Amino acid sequence: MVHYLILCRSLTYAQRTARILERGGIAGTVMRTPGRIAKDGCGYCVRVGEKRLADALVLLRREGLPPKQVFVQSAAGEYSEAVL
Amino acid sequence: MIYLDSAATTLQKPASVPRAAAWAMTHLASPGRGGYPASAEAADVMFHLREEAASLFGVPNPEQVILTGNATHGLNIAIRSLVRPGDPVLLSGYEHNAVTRPLRAAGARIFVARSPLFDQDAAVEAFAEALHTPMAAVVCTMVSNVFGFLLPIDRIAALCREKGVPLIVDASQGAGTLPVDLAGWGASFVAMPGHKGLYGPQGTGLLLCGGDAMPLLYGGTGSLSRQQEMPDFLPDRLEAGTHNVCGAAGLLEGIRFVRRKTPGTILRHEMQLTHRLAGQLQGIPGVSVYQGPHMAGVLSITSEGMDPETLGERLAGQGIAVRAGLHCAPLAHQTAGTLRTGTVRFSFSAFNRPEETDAAASAVRRILHTCPNRHPG
Repeated sequence: MVHYLILCRSLTYAQRTARILERGGIAGTVMRTPGRIAKDGCGYCVRVGEKRLADALVLLRREGLPPKQVFVQSAAGEYSEAVL
Repeated sequence: MIYLDSAATTLQKPASVPRAAAWAMTHLASPGRGGYPASAEAADVMFHLREEAASLFGVPNPEQVILTGNATHGLNIAIRSLVRPGDPVLLSGYEHNAVTRPLRAAGARIFVARSPLFDQDAAVEAFAEALHTPMAAVVCTMVSNVFGFLLPIDRIAALCREKGVPLIVDASQGAGTLPVDLAGWGASFVAMPGHKGLYGPQGTGLLLCGGDAMPLLYGGTGSLSRQQEMPDFLPDRLEAGTHNVCGAAGLLEGIRFVRRKTPGTILRHEMQLTHRLAGQLQGIPGVSVYQGPHMAGVLSITSEGMDPETLGERLAGQGIAVRAGLHCAPLAHQTAGTLRTGTVRFSFSAFNRPEETDAAASAVRRILHTCPNRHPG
């Protein structure tokens, strides 16, 4: 299953991101950013389902919380940066 | 014991507060340091705390709510962020040492907008007059911790906005009973303890950040670990090291208690007790009661027949806990003319009952009646 990882500046921003998505009816899971894509070391991200990314981005931009970066997590567990 | 020292710390807490703190001790790990459930749950507690506080205190975003060790910690961060050596800083005449000592350490030039007790118009005039001189910052308490005088913080904040002067509010005696509005005031910082009117554990406080902030502590934040500079975003910038998660869990429950009960209801209750006690103490010969039209639940007295420390000690001997002396606020005593002796302070919480003020007043009467230097009246 493909997921998107919305990278956030900090744990608190990730929690706020998840809260905004939750209010908009989008399930998002706060998790640690996988080491392979955490350039600055130790970060948090919000994982959302493949079909919800577009809605999530609209919501986050509306709330003034645009994501730092978004990565696609393939079914095989590979990561690639999504071009927004 | 009859506990009338809630301006120092509220001793009686809602049952949910110690329960949550004790639960956190054995169930919650460090937030932001792991992805496992005990860490994630701790992170949830921290985030809920920030959300609840943001809702209660007019803070636009939860990351602007910083967990501190107490109000003094928050005030030190605020002052460090805004004040450089030689900067002119304006204070009310009712500030605590938690404000004046860090300012002195920062090398600030301190100006005091002096005004008489319980006169809000005079306070506004004093600030307006002093703000004709450019100031690097204004620091003002919401409520005098000695006399319960309500400073007109809305009007002082408006003056600061008009002049473009950063405002630091000390909400130590106001948070939990009075409206706190970071965004509405346009304040740079609002500092408050968690263990007074918010009914949290000791060792907790909150700093609400409306502007750029400088760290007081440097260290690990669980974010941007490859960088050697502190993150430039809140709350990480101001929260180095492991959080007081047990305190945060308790404070969260304390804030929920305040929000359920509402600050206005708690204030009305405390004011009823304050007026009741003031009326009872006024009738005692030789006792001066410091009261006026703009007060919160704090009441100070002096007695002609006995110094405050002795009276406080005698009250303690009768099971009544009050605070005597200068209350770490010599500036407030200087302003009110009580610096030489200090006062005896009674202060209330949501858990005090009218019978307790009756007992306290009777005890004061009894103690002063048996005092060898008692007033002849």
